[in-house]
Amino acid sequence: MAHKHRFMVVDDELIVRESLAAWLEKEAAVVDRAESGEQALDLMQQNLYDILFVDIKMPGMGGFGLLERVRQAYPTTVVVIITAYGTVEYAVEAMKLGANDFLVKPFDPEGLSLLVAKLLEHKRLLEEKQYLQSQVSRCWGGPDEIIGQSKGMLELFEQIVEIAASDTSVLILGETGTGKELIARAIHANSNRLGGPFVPINCGAIPESLMEAEIFGFEKGSFTGAIRPKKGLIEVAEGGTLFLDEVGEVSVKMQVDLLRVLQDKTFFRVGGVAPIKADFRLISATHRDLNDEVAKGNFRQDFYYRINVITLRVPPLRERREDIPLLVRHFIKNFAQETNRNVDSITDEAMQILVEYDWPGNIRELENVVERAVVTARKTIIGPDAFSYLKADVICAPRESAALTLEAAEIAHIRRVLDQEDWNISRAAKILQVDRTTLHKKIRRYGLERASQELSTTPERA
Amino acid sequence: MDKSKKRESVVSRTQAIIAVIPLGDSDSGLLQVVADSLQGVLRLPVDLKSAIPLPEESYMASRGQYNAMAIIKRLAEIYADGYLKVIGVTTYDLANPILTYVFGEAYMNGVSAVMSSFRLWAGTGNQTVSREHFLERAVKVAIHEIGHTFNIPHCHTDRCVMRSSHNLIELDHKLNYMCGYCELFLAEALTKALKEHPTDLKRQETA
Repeated sequence: MAHKHRFMVVDDELIVRESLAAWLEKEAAVVDRAESGEQALDLMQQNLYDILFVDIKMPGMGGFGLLERVRQAYPTTVVVIITAYGTVEYAVEAMKLGANDFLVKPFDPEGLSLLVAKLLEHKRLLEEKQYLQSQVSRCWGGPDEIIGQSKGMLELFEQIVEIAASDTSVLILGETGTGKELIARAIHANSNRLGGPFVPINCGAIPESLMEAEIFGFEKGSFTGAIRPKKGLIEVAEGGTLFLDEVGEVSVKMQVDLLRVLQDKTFFRVGGVAPIKADFRLISATHRDLNDEVAKGNFRQDFYYRINVITLRVPPLRERREDIPLLVRHFIKNFAQETNRNVDSITDEAMQILVEYDWPGNIRELENVVERAVVTARKTIIGPDAFSYLKADVICAPRESAALTLEAAEIAHIRRVLDQEDWNISRAAKILQVDRTTLHKKIRRYGLERASQELSTTPERA
Repeated sequence: MDKSKKRESVVSRTQAIIAVIPLGDSDSGLLQVVADSLQGVLRLPVDLKSAIPLPEESYMASRGQYNAMAIIKRLAEIYADGYLKVIGVTTYDLANPILTYVFGEAYMNGVSAVMSSFRLWAGTGNQTVSREHFLERAVKVAIHEIGHTFNIPHCHTDRCVMRSSHNLIELDHKLNYMCGYCELFLAEALTKALKEHPTDLKRQETA
C-alpha cells in the first residue's frame, strides 16, 4: 500500500475483531477495533478511516444504525458488512442502504485480499472525483468566471442555483455576447450532472445537412461516407448536459426530431433500427424572439414549450452598467497576463467612456475593446485615448430607444459634434455645415456648455 | 547496505533464542529444513524442539480444521519466557475464525507463529508436487510468518518472501528470501529485540 491506510473492525465478538484486525495489520495498515456502533462513531470523530468492516448483528445501534450514520456523515468512507451464513439477506438489505460490499464468514483469504484492494481503489477514485468536481465547479460556476454585482445578475445567480438541481429544460434568452453559454455551464456545474459531460452545439454553425448526423449519430453504411458508426452528440452528452446554442436556427424538421427525443427519451441513429436511451438535460439559448418566430410559423410551438420550461434572461450590458468597471478590471488583468503587457489599471475618464458606451455587442465586444487597449497600451494605465474610436461610434450608432423630438435630436447632435471637435466652433460648424454664427446662436439658445460630465448628460443616453 | 556486518553482533550468541515446535504428528525432514532455513535467514541459533500435541481448544469441529489464532496464543503462553520467537509446525489444516484456510499465522510483533504443510503438497489437478518443491513452499511460509513476528508487514516487492500470497501459484512465484528492504527491517527489529530481551532468557523444557 502506498501510504498507511486506516481501517476499523466493528464487531461485538472479540475473536472476529482480533482475527480480522491481525490480518489487516499485515497489510501495513493501522487497524482500530470497536465492539459497538457507538464506540465506532466515537473513534470516527478522532480519526479518518478508509474502510470500516461492520458486523450486522451487534447490541445497541447495530450494523444498520452505524451504516446509516456513516453514510450521512462520512460519505467517502467505505463500509463492508460482515455477516454469517443464514443472514445473507441482511447483507443484501445493507447493500441497499449504501454498504459498499459484504463478506460472509468465514471468507476466502484470496477474496478478502482482492476486496480490500478493490475498495481502496474505489475510495481513491471517489476522492479524486470529488476533488476534480470541486475544481470544475470553481472554474465554471464560481464568481471568478461570471462577473456581476448588478441586481439583474444577482437575481440570475440565485435562479441558477435554484434550477440547477432539477432536470427541467432551460431556455436562456439574451442578446449576442451576453454570456449565455457561460450561464449554461454554470447551471451544469451546479447540477447533479456535473460528473457527466457538457456538450455545446452551435446550431447556427452546423449546416442543415450535417445537423442530423451530428446530433443523432449514424450507423455504418447509412449514407455515402458512413464507413463506420458514429455516436451523436446526444449520446456523447449521456449523463450530462446538452447545450443547444442559437436554437432559433434549428430547422423545423430537426425540431420535430428533437421533440421526439425530449418526449420519449429515446432516439435512433441515422440508419439505425435500435432505439437508444437518451439521458441528458437540455439547455437552449437564443438571441431571437421565439414567440415572434412561433407566430411567423418558423418555430414549432410544441417544441418551444418543451424547451422553454424555465426561462432565464441574461441582461444586456447596457442594463447592467454598474458591472462594467468590474468586467473591465477583470479583462485588463487577464489580458495583461496573457499578452505579458505591463498594464494594470485604467483612468477614471477612460472608464467613464466604457461605462457610457451602449455595447451592442455586449460583453464579447467589451472584452475585445479591452484586449485592444491592453495590447496597444504604451503606459501601465489605460487612458481615454484608447477608446476615442468608441466616441465616433456613438455618433454613428443608431439609437434604439430614443423617442426624441426634433429639437432634442438637434441638441444631442450639436453637442456630440462639439465634444468630438473639443469645442472648436469653426471645425464643428464646418462638419455641421452651418455658419459659425448660427452655431453660436444655437449653443446659446439651447444653453449648451462645455462640461467634464458632458457624456453622461446627453439626452439619448439618459 | 552491509547487512552481514550489522548481523555479526547478534550471530555470536550460542544460546538458541528461536524455536521450532512440532505440533502433533511430525514430518522430521520438514522440521529440519524449516529449522535450518530459519537459522540461515535470521543468522541466529534455532532450536528444534520435541513435538507437543495440538492444543485441544484450537480444534474447530464444525470445520474439521485447527484455529491458528488459538494455537499461536497457546504457543506464546508456553514459550514466551524461554525464547524470543517460536514457530509451530503442523501437518493439519489451519484456518481462523474469519478465513476458510491459512498457510500460516502470526501476530505482528508477536512471540509466536504457526504454519501448516497440509495444503503445500497440491499440484495441478489431483497430482502432488515433488518433495523438494513441497519443502521449498514450507520454507517460504515459515520465513514469511516469522517475519511478521518481527513486525515486518506484507511487502510489495514482486518476489519478496514477505509478499502476501493467498494461493499456491502466488506462493510459488515468491523467492525463499527477503528483499533488501525487508532484510533491513529484519536487521533493525532483531537488534532492537535482542537489546530488549536480556540474554538470561529462561530456557523451559516443555517438550
